[in-house]
Amino acid sequence: MSNAITEIKDAKCLLIFGYNAGDSHPIVAKHILQAKANGAKIIVCDPRKIESARVADKWLQMKNGSNMALVNALANTIFAENLQDQAYIDKYTDGLEEYKKIISTYTPESVATITGLAPEDIRSVARLYATASESMILWGMGVTQYGQAVDVVKGLASLALITGNFGRRGVGCGPVRGQNNVQGTCDIGMLPNIYPGYQKVTNDAVREKFENKWGVSLSPNEGYKLTQMNHLVHDGKMKAYYIFGEDPAQTEADLAAFREMMGKLDLVIVQDIFMTQTAAMADVIFPATSWGEHEGVFSCADRGFQRFNKAINPPEGTKVDWKIFSLMATAMGYPMSYENTKEIWDEIRSLCPEYAGATYEKMEGLKSVQWPCTDEGDHDLGTSFLFEGNKFTTENGRGQLFASEWRPPQEIPDRDYPLVLSTVREVGHYSCRSMTGNCSALQTLADEPGYVQMHPLDAKSHGIKDQQLLWISSRRGKVITRANYNERINIGAVYMTYQWWIGACNELTIENLDPITGTPEYKYCAVKVEKIDDQSWAENHVQVEYSALRNKLRDVAKG
Amino acid sequence: MEKTLTVCPYCGTGCKLNLLTENGKVVGAEAANGRTNEGELCLKGYYGWDFLNDTNLLVPRLKSPMIRREKSGKLEKVSWDEAIEFASSRLSSIKANFGSDAIMTTGCARGAGNEANFVMQKFARAVIGTNNVDHCARV
Repeated sequence: MSNAITEIKDAKCLLIFGYNAGDSHPIVAKHILQAKANGAKIIVCDPRKIESARVADKWLQMKNGSNMALVNALANTIFAENLQDQAYIDKYTDGLEEYKKIISTYTPESVATITGLAPEDIRSVARLYATASESMILWGMGVTQYGQAVDVVKGLASLALITGNFGRRGVGCGPVRGQNNVQGTCDIGMLPNIYPGYQKVTNDAVREKFENKWGVSLSPNEGYKLTQMNHLVHDGKMKAYYIFGEDPAQTEADLAAFREMMGKLDLVIVQDIFMTQTAAMADVIFPATSWGEHEGVFSCADRGFQRFNKAINPPEGTKVDWKIFSLMATAMGYPMSYENTKEIWDEIRSLCPEYAGATYEKMEGLKSVQWPCTDEGDHDLGTSFLFEGNKFTTENGRGQLFASEWRPPQEIPDRDYPLVLSTVREVGHYSCRSMTGNCSALQTLADEPGYVQMHPLDAKSHGIKDQQLLWISSRRGKVITRANYNERINIGAVYMTYQWWIGACNELTIENLDPITGTPEYKYCAVKVEKIDDQSWAENHVQVEYSALRNKLRDVAKG
Repeated sequence: MEKTLTVCPYCGTGCKLNLLTENGKVVGAEAANGRTNEGELCLKGYYGWDFLNDTNLLVPRLKSPMIRREKSGKLEKVSWDEAIEFASSRLSSIKANFGSDAIMTTGCARGAGNEANFVMQKFARAVIGTNNVDHCARV
């Protein structure tokens, strides 16, 4: 996020785009309510009437898969009505001519069919966003989990640029990161093209710095992305997979293809805290300590480094993650040992100029340090908002305007598969659910096989009653799930959360990857639903399958 | 009862909370006045901790290293020494036969923390010799 979560309440206009804070980040949702109480105008662009839409001044119930068209139409309106900040554009940005060439054809009228929106609604939103003194954009997976994702991210950032909404409190762009340390994994270079601190592996000077520190020569080539694994394994190029704290057998798109890929690998190592479905496929399992049993630093969504602490002793037989890696490194001929996390953190700081000043001392207790924090001195306590003075992290320091033509999602509903499936979050369970599914209060709230949210009109047209079990299928798989009538979603689309074993929506999802991030199109594929006449058979079937899977994992864990 | 100040392991908001423990068991969570949560927590923050007590409601906790000696065999419990020897020798042989880039590694965007991830990517880059490092950011 360019600006702190705590600056949401300073905004005068919030443009919330494909982001359901109420379910994914309930405490961020409170900041949105605070902004509303402070008088901010709230705009929500989402096919569902999510919680934020209920308090919104303007809710655009756009069609699934129309993001780029809507963003372009907002930009089109801003220029058509001369609402842009021309002085800011001239002074701080590049690429206006090309940008205008693309958006000029995207009048609100021209996208009415694609987006399902009335032109006047698009215009009024563009006016609200462009004319507020401080406007902030928040987005989530409703933007990034499409085959056209990075284009939309750049398009949204360009809206902020053409209206001068960067480099101050209460403005900017907020991709609100999902998992508690997904910002951290990016910060620490768990990506194939960057070292820790967003330093490119292809940059010779950077690589030399890491080589000197670590005393080895390093590969000058970018690595592969996880989402390339299927093809690489198929082609015989990838032989081993070391999985650390993830359950891709639950969370990947198109799970049947994932399982086939796992079966072809020579070696799968899984380091985790629970016997997940992924762990059950491993050739080696390393049992690790859990959150609560070890300490370290997390990065929250707004670049905030915060220390977390050990509350209880880990079970006998487990080891701390970094000690396991150190043992493996040593066994493979590179002696590695650390005394504690502080020693590791200090090595990170020594290699990453942006984090150099973020000492453990500055993060004592409740304190949080947002990077960049470059100086160890007490005067540098980090950075609440980026791009002060409108200096950007591009090569020439200027903001690069960007627009792209809208591309439709890959798999459009047809006669055989007439509904859109979009995968979403629910408030009580998290990710693959190995943690929340083991919490009694949270498990009581929702259990297998999970739900498919359906508009009552769609459900009734298939003869499906609320809370009945049903089959849902795509060209890639078929699972049983439970209907949950929901009048707050759009007709023609259904929504499932992804943590269920029996009602596993990722048996249905499609791989269509964004060309830059490699993120699958989790938000859009074509499905059909079928009524089950014998509901007592279906209820029994779910219980039998669920018990069988639970028992299987328990048996595997016994060894 | 003891209190340990920590950060919630679920979403990216970064809420500070106190884990309440008694005799080495977690018995509760209470909100702390962190920068982003300002003394509030959500459902998962308040009730998302008892997996630490090995409730076995959904999946069992892993407490021993395990290896599968043959692809068709089953996972068996072994000592740490044996597991490390088994895994490191297999990885070394794959590296020798197929090159460093035939090995994929991932980071963990959840409870492991930045230091653990740093050591993982250092292991991949400096020891295996590949930039095949990625994580579940797309999920």
